[in-house]
Amino acid sequence: MSSKAVKSVKGLGIFKKQGLFDKGVGALLPEAYKKFYKEWRLTEPTAVHYIPEEGKWKRDELTGEVIPIQNIPLPLSYPKEHNNHLWGGEAVVQGFQIRDKFRRRVPHFWVPVLKRSVVHTEVLNKFFSVIVTDRTIRLINSNYGFDHYLLKTPACDLKSLLALSLKRKILKELDAGCPLYKNQPEIQSRLLNKYGKYLEAYTSEEIDWYGYSYTEACNRIQKQMEEGEKKVPLKYIYRAELIDKLRAAKLEEAMSQSLKSSQSGLDATWLRKMNPFGKKRET
Amino acid sequence: MWKNATFLLKTASKEVPSLCGTPFLQQVRTTYILKRRFPTQLHKKGGQPKKLRSRHYVYDLVKDTTTEKQPNIDVILTDFVEGYGNAGEKISVNSQFAYNNLLVPGLAVYASPENIEKYKDQIEALADKQTYSSANAALTLKTLSRMTLSVVMNKDHPWTLQPWHIKTSFRKCGYVVPEDAIALPEKSITGPNMDSEGKEFYVIVTINNTEKVNVRCRLHHWSTEIVDRIPYVDKFWENPTEPIYSEFTDVLQTIPPKITKLKD
Repeated sequence: MSSKAVKSVKGLGIFKKQGLFDKGVGALLPEAYKKFYKEWRLTEPTAVHYIPEEGKWKRDELTGEVIPIQNIPLPLSYPKEHNNHLWGGEAVVQGFQIRDKFRRRVPHFWVPVLKRSVVHTEVLNKFFSVIVTDRTIRLINSNYGFDHYLLKTPACDLKSLLALSLKRKILKELDAGCPLYKNQPEIQSRLLNKYGKYLEAYTSEEIDWYGYSYTEACNRIQKQMEEGEKKVPLKYIYRAELIDKLRAAKLEEAMSQSLKSSQSGLDATWLRKMNPFGKKRET
Repeated sequence: MWKNATFLLKTASKEVPSLCGTPFLQQVRTTYILKRRFPTQLHKKGGQPKKLRSRHYVYDLVKDTTTEKQPNIDVILTDFVEGYGNAGEKISVNSQFAYNNLLVPGLAVYASPENIEKYKDQIEALADKQTYSSANAALTLKTLSRMTLSVVMNKDHPWTLQPWHIKTSFRKCGYVVPEDAIALPEKSITGPNMDSEGKEFYVIVTINNTEKVNVRCRLHHWSTEIVDRIPYVDKFWENPTEPIYSEFTDVLQTIPPKITKLKD
């Protein structure tokens, strides 16, 4: 209790910048999505483009001075196309090369080698033609299959929206008990045995919210809310209010009318009385 | 097969936004491991890392993984693969080859601990499928059964056909066949006999003491005297002929004919 108070007191007078999930539609996003977002964007991915030094300290070879080891990752960039590919953790590195002792540094982009190949998911029972890197294939091989690779690898290493949405589809399929193999119970049970262990890390809601980009998630929740609330036209509300008032005044006609806005016979009875093919009224 | 996975996702659920644009083009395309030439400044324990300066973006290439040799991986074959092995066999092949030609087409599975356990029992079940004495046996069998062997015998001196004649004829075509692997038909062929010139017979070759294959042969006569020689026939295997003895007809008909050019 006391620590909480101290915290709140300490926070006084300090302007806290609003984050993605503090304002607007982002604030409405469920905890399940925030968990995924943390795994995707706020976790340090595995070092692909540099070899991290091990240990806490190292000694300078010449002077014997002790220096702490601090691994600062290389800044990486991801072109928007990478969301349609599977790069397996690789990225574009922008930097400089010094090609000669007496030359000025030269800007350089290190871009992964991309090639089109085929991946096969056992759970979805589908072959996909996708653009991959050699590293992706190597990771698939070392994980004994594409499904294992997707399910084992955290979102920060999969990175691309294609991989993440495939992972969500696979997780959903497994969570539903592989309805695709309804007619082959042997394969169904084998798949659930093989991949069922990966479901332990997620709840159904987390699976439902897995692998969406921030904008996609915002759009989704907005759509959900719009569908959730039913809009009742104001005329029904006013009509019900009026009948209420008339009833209070104990008018006979009002007693027979229903109060509910939805049952307000207006649309049904009024339309039924209409006869478009009847005699034309003289005006 | 789906042309593109993005197409599937777009049509199926419209979850991935359309992210098409100009391709990211660069002159050099390599997979690389880099190292900073100038180390970054140290930051305080538990503090924020210091701002990177321009010199911290100067990188040296440590290793380029695309130019390295691909490591071999172990796979278990689920079917007979020509030149690689029988079903249930564990082989070590280049990882890229294994992925493209064995794993994706479903001819093999990864040699994971579960699969090794699983296929231990299945080897016996798979044994009733056709197996071969070695990985190359099937290929040899196919090649031998499709060839027409030219057996050239003497026109002047009498002879009876022996396995070593066939061995020599094979050697002339570039096949090394041991003598004990060759068996001749029961009815012996003798000569010189100009009636059997250009006519067919067969020999039986045994591969690795297991697989037996009938090889189509054609008899030719040859003389050391240039005047006595029979004129040269170009592409003799394309000319229709008949067996030396009518007893050979049944066997010769089972051997697939040699096809050098496809008919229109």
